[in-house]
Order: sequence, then structure tokens, then C-alpha cells
Amino acid sequence: MGLLDEKTAPRLKDKERKVLILGLPNSGKTQIYNNLTGTYNLVANYHHTTIDVNRAYYEHGGVLYELYDMPGLYCLFANSEEELLVRNLIFSEEPDVLLFCLDANLLKQSLMLGIELMELGIPMVIALNAIDETSKKGIWIDTAMLSSTLGVPVVESIAIRGIGTRKLKSSIERAKAPKASIYYGDMIEAGLANVIHDLPEDFPFKRKTAMLLLLNDRFLEKDLIEAFGENQYAEIQKNLSGITSQFVGSIGKIVYYKRSEWVDQLSDKIVKTQDFDQRSMAKTFAQMSRNVVTGIPIFCMIILITYLLVVNVANEISTLMESYLWKPVMDKLSSMVPSQFWREFLLGSHGLLSLGLGGAILTVLPILSVFFVVFNVLEDMGYVPNLTVLTRRLFAKVGLSGYSIMPIVLGFGCKTMATFTTRTINSDKEKYIAIFLIAFALPCAPQIGLSMGMLGKVGFKAFLIVFSVLLITEITAGVLLNILMRDDTKNTYLQALPAIRIPNVFAVLKKTYYRLYMFLKEALPIFLLSAVFLFTLEKIGFLKIAKVFLAPLINNFLGLPNEMVDVLILVLARREAAAAVIMDFVNKGRLDFNQAIVSVTLTTMFVPCFANLGAMIKEIGLRRALTMAFFITASSLVIAGALNKVLLFFNHV
Amino acid sequence: MNNNNCTEVDEYLESLWYINEKGQGAVSDICEHTVGGLSEDTHGGLSEEVIEKLVSDNLVEIDDSSKIIGLTPKGLERARHIVRAHRLAERLLYDVMGKNIEDGACEFEHIVTMELVDSICTLLGHPKECPHGLPIPSGKCCELSAKSVNSSVIHLDELDIGKYARIAYVNCPNDQLIHRLNGLSIRPGVTVKLHQSYPTFVIECEGMHIALDNELAENICVWRESEFAYDPKTPEIAVKRRFPFLRKRRK
Repeated sequence: MGLLDEKTAPRLKDKERKVLILGLPNSGKTQIYNNLTGTYNLVANYHHTTIDVNRAYYEHGGVLYELYDMPGLYCLFANSEEELLVRNLIFSEEPDVLLFCLDANLLKQSLMLGIELMELGIPMVIALNAIDETSKKGIWIDTAMLSSTLGVPVVESIAIRGIGTRKLKSSIERAKAPKASIYYGDMIEAGLANVIHDLPEDFPFKRKTAMLLLLNDRFLEKDLIEAFGENQYAEIQKNLSGITSQFVGSIGKIVYYKRSEWVDQLSDKIVKTQDFDQRSMAKTFAQMSRNVVTGIPIFCMIILITYLLVVNVANEISTLMESYLWKPVMDKLSSMVPSQFWREFLLGSHGLLSLGLGGAILTVLPILSVFFVVFNVLEDMGYVPNLTVLTRRLFAKVGLSGYSIMPIVLGFGCKTMATFTTRTINSDKEKYIAIFLIAFALPCAPQIGLSMGMLGKVGFKAFLIVFSVLLITEITAGVLLNILMRDDTKNTYLQALPAIRIPNVFAVLKKTYYRLYMFLKEALPIFLLSAVFLFTLEKIGFLKIAKVFLAPLINNFLGLPNEMVDVLILVLARREAAAAVIMDFVNKGRLDFNQAIVSVTLTTMFVPCFANLGAMIKEIGLRRALTMAFFITASSLVIAGALNKVLLFFNHV
Repeated sequence: MNNNNCTEVDEYLESLWYINEKGQGAVSDICEHTVGGLSEDTHGGLSEEVIEKLVSDNLVEIDDSSKIIGLTPKGLERARHIVRAHRLAERLLYDVMGKNIEDGACEFEHIVTMELVDSICTLLGHPKECPHGLPIPSGKCCELSAKSVNSSVIHLDELDIGKYARIAYVNCPNDQLIHRLNGLSIRPGVTVKLHQSYPTFVIECEGMHIALDNELAENICVWRESEFAYDPKTPEIAVKRRFPFLRKRRK
């Protein structure tokens, strides 16, 4: 938790200031947060990387700063729960300083949000981020003029390289209330004054609240009723409808007209542009990746390259580690431990070291290292969200027309994160379908990597079969859910795409390191514990009984060997642990082509991982989440069984 | 910052154009000239302020010694547009709608865009004088003596791929969408470039790439890039040489 943790924090409590980082999605807020606090939080070149509020402390000039990293937002008018979360935090936390992260590439869009934040009257500092990219594009921004016009410190920043951090720290000390404000015209101002008059004396941000009420913000109702009761709220509403009925046109349009006029004037004043439009490689690549003709081959190439890297490089690393590092140590250890029991405990088929440590470090770690490097490169490039352009029509067929496309595409990264991102969906049906599809047959990044590793041993064909089955399953599930849940509210698809960037080597390596570190930290104990757990089960004879009991299911229906019981138990604990065992089986020749396909398909879909289940419970409630999990588990068994029969049928033909 | 300011500037520019029509003017002249014509809150000291703004925006120049005020080329262009819009509006209201002159023409000149003015000009058959008998500055449409109005609003999905267009208005299917669109800076007056239309529309708007569905693309209305209308807001589009090496060799 930052340079200072909670325990040392109270020492400076009397000199504590709260700083909120705000800005558009993908404007680099988390990177700045990391720079300021010295922590590491996942950053990526796409929207919704941060979906919850992070908090950390740092000290500067004898003052303790409590820094909040927030999800991005476009305006204070809440369109989704996520934006509401940010807004409520601003309103309730009473921050001392707003650190506005302004994406220089998107100056006008950022200023549109900026003026809204400035209207709050909270002292502000602006970090003008990604200034290296704009200067390359021939866009010159007059920072001094921006600062003097708005009356707040503006710091030029290249967050990804840590430039501007020191200056930002000292500027936060000097944060001032902005002097920019907009006069919305006599009628709206009169309306605002009228609404403000109705609000209780001590209500914070009255002008902003009044404005949001005039704009008909549907999320305010609950807060206002909570704050001062049904009766007074009813009165406010009555008064409000009186005011709004005076307007002929849309208040929203007038308000935005005024704001955009302000933004245009300011940006005309501070921006100088060269007409020369540089055709950059990144831009061309972005266009090609979105075009059907070039985009699909690019996608296939990326998959193929990843596959080849994971299978060849990772397996090579794994083999080298095994023969030069693991085996000598294990042999030595084996001769040193005299007792048969302890040797089995450490090095047996369910041994603490052989299954636990070996599985994690020898089998899983090399694959994940290679895969994460590739994946992080794609992530920092901003490639993934561009896929939504190609896949939108397909998604529309399964009832996902609007906001839900992005969360699902993000599910290929981490299902848990993606499940939380469904907060941006404001249709219940879409949210439900999205959460289901994310939890169901969608493989997350580690799963993709591990599947590649496992299937690579039996051939590329197996990889193709498994991923086609998963895709078909996913589409069928989507279509069925879409038919079952009749709800015709159509959502508009409107998605900002991140600009393709050439990834920074250092950032990619750092992120890979961080992801692997997190994997080891989270998964290693589980690997070790489950090895002990399986060992105990075996010793007390439970495994033997389970194998007999489950034989019809596993042997006959799924066509898998008895040992797969271990795998199914391990999947419950941690998917990667199961993968390690499957990989071990494949290596030892205990699974043939068909069996490898069936077991990978089964483990990909089987019970959602704990983190994902937790996210599901948080988003749709315990009962619905458990129903979903049960349904997913049952159908994964049915599908794997059916797949087994189909494969057998083709073998005979 | 108050919207009146922009209108005020326009009024001053218009006045300067009038003075220009008569001959050169001095600073005191314009102050005198405009006080009567403007709304009440612009007397006295304020006019100086506006003149300062005009100077800082590089619309007018003041000769220090002689106190003579003159329009810069930029100011001249803007004033020309305002006067042209004003007088064409008068013509339109007077000839076509049979209304009182000056009723509404004043507001009109601040609202209409260059394309619309050219369309009205063409519609009216390129009139040379306003109902008061003052000359109407000619536009590009007059030079080309366009016969039919072909510059108009089209839907974004009708635009050719790779073309720039300026948003005229957006038909907002629901209220929530206004906020999202404005957050992404998709609003009237902004120039967008259409990158692709299948399987999803992708536009570039103020430096941001945005994907949207067909329905929304239909609801965004843009000015068609007309043959004669010159649009100061559209960036000059460099003619892309497909095979630059071929061109070079020909030289």
C-alpha cells in the first residue's frame, strides 16, 4: 500500500489531504497514480482497466496525501453505475484537490469533462498527459496559457515514462480553485437559482446538483430522498417540472452548446496545429485490424503466432528447467529422504513438491510467462478493443447490441475484471447475458495460454477443435438466452476505441513481471495446499472410492482415465493446478488425442473460478450467481460428454 | 464567459464593414457608430473591451498614431460572411416570406453556417443587393453561378469512406444519449472523418476513433462536402499520392 501503509499514516493525520484522480477513460490515470505512490496497478491501453477505486498514501513536504485512483468518466451525468460510483465519491468524500488527468490527444473531449469538474469549485491540478504523442502529431498546446486561463497549475506529463511526476507532486501543493465558469444564459441560470433555493442549506455542490436535476439525472432520486425525505423531494420535483416546462427546446442541448462553445474558444486559444497529417504505422495498423478483409487474417495470425510461441518457446524453457534445475535437485532430495511416507508426501504423484511446486513452477510458469508477454504487448498496443468493430454484428445476433461487447472482449483478459466491467451496461438483460457468457465458455488469458500449452503437445488440430467447440457453445448459449429473455429495449452501440500505440518494452516487461508475481503469490499456496489435500484424500482412501463412484461418468461418458478425478477436484481450487496435472498426463502419454481435447474443453468451462464467482455474486446476487454456476458446471459435463461421443464416432468412420 | 460576447464581436465587425463601405474609420467613430445599434449593456467602457478582444483575436488593427481602425484579412473575411448572411437573410425574409425587413435578420446572421448561406443565395438566384439597396458580398456560389442547391445535409451512413464532413445536427433517439455523444465530442460543428462502414461504422472525431452502429450513423447528419462552399473549419485535406515514387520519376 504505497510508500506509507495505514499504520504509519495516522502519525501525519492532522496534515492529511485527499486527492482524487479524475479523467476520461484511458487517459493514464492509473499510470500517474502508480508514479505518484510508487505502487503498481495494472495499466493497459484501453478503457475500463480500472473498475474500482484504488487508494494509497504518499508524503510530500510534510503533508500526507491520500490518493484515489478512479475509473474514467466522460461527464458527471451518470450513464452507468460505474460513473455513478465516481460521482458519488466526489460528492461524498469532499476531496481537497482534484487531479485532472487531461489526455492531450483528446483535448476537447477532456476539456468537456474538465469544465464540469471545474464547476465544482474544488482546487485542481491538471496533468497534461501524453504530451509526447501530440507533439509528434504536430499539435502544440500552450500550457502556460491553459494554466493562466483556467487559473490552476498545469503540468506537462508523459506518465508512461514517469516524466512530470516530481513537478506534479509540488503542483498539488499549489492547487487552486479554478476560475473558469460558464454562464448558461438567463433562463437556465434562473432555473438553477430556483432549484438551488429548494435544496437544503448544507447540501454540498448545490449548483451541480441543481444542474443534474435540470438535466433529468435518474440516479439522483435515491440520494435526494435519502438525504431529506420523500416529502421535500416531491416538492423539489414539482418545482422542477414547473421550471423545465418553461423551456421549449432541450435543456441538455443548450447546456452542451454553451459548454462546447467554451471548449472551442479555449482550444482555439491554446492549440496550434500543423496541417501535415503524418501517416503513422500505428494508425495504418489500427485501420487494417478493423477492416474485415485485413482484420480477420491479422487476428488469425496473432492467434497462430501466440500459439507457436507458447508451444515452442514455453515448452523449451520448461524442458530445460526440468532437466538442468529440477531433476538434479529432486534426485538429490529423494536420496536424502529415507522414509517412504515422506518421500511420497514430497515427491509422489500427489507430492507437495512434485505436484504443488513443480506444477506451478515447471509447468505453468513458463507458459504463462511467454503468453503474458504476448498478451501484454497486445494489451498495451490497444489491439483488443479494436476487435469489437469486427465482432459487433456477431454479438448483435446473441442479443448484445450495446455496452456489453466491451466487457465480453475484455473477458479474454480476466473474467473477474470483465464481470465487474458489466457495471457499464445499463440494461439488465444484456448484463445478465454478458455475465453468463463471460463465466461460461470464454477462456481467460491464462486459460488460453495453458490450453495452447496442453493442446500443443497433441497438435494444432486439437487446438482448433477445442476453440471451435468453445465458440459454438458460446454462440448457442447467447442465442438461447436471447430468445429466452425477451426484452426489446435496444441499446445504442457507441464505443471509443483507444489509439494503437507501439508498446514500451519496459512497461510490457514490468507488467509481465507483475502478473507472474501475482500468479505465484495467489496460486502457489493453493497449488501446495491442494497437493496436500489430494495426498490426504488418497491416504484415507477417499480418492479410490470417488474413482469407483465416478467411473461411469468419467470412464464411460467422458471417455477419460480414472485419474481425472484429481483434475476435477483441482479445478475447483485453481484452474492452473488442473492444467498442470493434465499437462503431466499428456507428457506421460496417459491421455490420447481425444482425451486431451475432452479434458481441456471440460476444464475450460467447468465451475467458474472463485474470483469470478465472487464478482458474479457481487453483480447479480448470490442466488442467481449460484444458479448460473450450477448450470455452467452441468452443461460443461454434458458438452464434454457429447464431444467425446462425436470424436469417437469420427474415429470409427 | 458569456455568449453575448461572440455576438457583440460580430456586431462590431459588421459595423466596421459598414464604415469600410463608406471609407476608413477611427476608433472614436466606431464607438459612436455602434452604441446606438447594440443592446443596452454594451455602452461606454465595454466597447473598448470588445475592441481589445478584436485586436487580440487578430480581427482588427489599430494604427497607433492616427487612431484609424481597420479590418485584418481575417476580420474582413468574417465580417464579409456576417454581412452577406445578414443581407441575404433580409432578402429571404422580404422577398420570399414577405416580412418586415430587419425582423429576425439580426439573429439569423449569427446562426447560419456558410453552407446554408450559399444554399439560400443559390435559391434566391444570387441576388446582388439587399432590400435596402446595399451590395451583398458575393460568395463562392455566385462565382460558380450555381443553378441548383446541391449542398445539403446527408446522413453519415451516406458519406463516402475516407471523406471528411461537418456534423450539422444529431437526431437523438433518447435523452441519455446526448450526454454520451457530447462526452465523445460528437456534436454540431465538429468535423468527422468516416473510416469504415462495415461491419461497424468507425469515425474519427477530434482525434478520437469511435465505433458506432448503423442506427446511430443514420441519426448523425452532416453537411455534404459541396463543390462550391468553402468551409474554414474543415482541415485542408492533403491530396494523397498513391504512388509517390511514380510521380517522382515522371518529373
